[in-house]
Amino acid sequence: MTEKEKVYLLEEMFEADPDSLRSTTGLDSLNWDSMAFLSLIVLVNDNFGKKLTSQQIRSFKTIGDILAIME
Amino acid sequence: MSSSGLLQGVVIDGLSVAVPDNVVTNDYYMTEFGEGVEKFAKMTGVERRCIASHDQTASDLAYIAAERLFATSLCRREEVDAIIFVTQTPDYVLPASACVLHSRFGLNTNCIAFDVNLGCSGFVYGLYLAASLLKTGCEHVLLCGGDTNSKIVSTKDKSLAMLFGDGGFAVSIGKDDSSFPWPYSLETNGTGYKSIIVPSGAYRNRPGNSEARSFGEGIIRSDFDLYMNGPDVFSFTISEVPSSIKSLMFTRGISVQDIDYLVLHQANLFVLKQIAKATKFPMCNVPITIDRFGNTSVTSIPLTLCDLFDGKGDGMKHVLLSGFGVGLSWGVMDVHIDSRKCLPIEYTNDVYTKGTLENA
Repeated sequence: MTEKEKVYLLEEMFEADPDSLRSTTGLDSLNWDSMAFLSLIVLVNDNFGKKLTSQQIRSFKTIGDILAIME
Repeated sequence: MSSSGLLQGVVIDGLSVAVPDNVVTNDYYMTEFGEGVEKFAKMTGVERRCIASHDQTASDLAYIAAERLFATSLCRREEVDAIIFVTQTPDYVLPASACVLHSRFGLNTNCIAFDVNLGCSGFVYGLYLAASLLKTGCEHVLLCGGDTNSKIVSTKDKSLAMLFGDGGFAVSIGKDDSSFPWPYSLETNGTGYKSIIVPSGAYRNRPGNSEARSFGEGIIRSDFDLYMNGPDVFSFTISEVPSSIKSLMFTRGISVQDIDYLVLHQANLFVLKQIAKATKFPMCNVPITIDRFGNTSVTSIPLTLCDLFDGKGDGMKHVLLSGFGVGLSWGVMDVHIDSRKCLPIEYTNDVYTKGTLENA
């Protein structure tokens, strides 16, 4: 999956405008709440077969942090 | 030795559920959590729950459920030779609540009675244990269970205060050589034991801090209150539960079309939808009760069966049951059940006053 495709998945998940997210975008500026945590867990599980932990989720500060584990 | 297999020659003779008659809606929490209430309801699907009174226990609810089985002749009192009570909220630290129920039912001494400490997976585990007892000499097993989760959850914890409901059940299980076998698979991952935990109140963390304190915005609880690591539990659920369901179906050659209903532990609506999607079951075949009863842990599967069939229907139904949660523990079982023997849900305020300290 290309970087662009990964960003697109996150834009869909956050219901953000197309091409609005950058790796430097802070999660504080998005709807980064408990519902988003669950949606991200599903996204990562479905697309990358990885189990995200609460510790990992808590450590994410930017879109770039999430992109780094999407592989 | 395997944690999966086939239970043969057993049948469910009757199933009954009782819940407290005190219904609490989400509105009650508006003052405490404000707009968080609507957000919570949207994610979990919970709109209202039945909450036990101060003195009402899980065994009180299971007692009412079981007495209805006796009253409707779906279970004969004099034939019960084992009582299993699955709970995490027993009447006492000791003795086992199964012994209290044995006394209340007025059974003779030729009877096995014990408690099992399991939650959301407990109904499936209980069926396995009941069927196992029938293989080793018992003729009729009364599997009971229930929880008053409301008593172990902080009302100031926004992540949990509105999630759990209270309830109890009783299911009569007997022998029938002509019945369909029950394929099952039971699993455990104890490394997740801290993911859902009440850390104090037993013997590890004594005396424990009973003072409620803040663990982040909107989360105030003490060491005697339930803690749940939502993301970790969710992550476990969506990866382990669908694969255990799919694996059982593949091994036993069962297709989605063969199953009338996939009856899941009612953890939260988002979880149920994810499991349905991953196992390719249409949501119309995945009954929902979390909206009206919340997460009732061990009772959620029998409650969903009784809500679905309501003592009516056209007879035998093929249901796939899956319970998952605290432990971490999970199980799946493929069962045939007569819809007419799943009684309508009973609402009760019954309390066993003889069991209180005042009457010691």
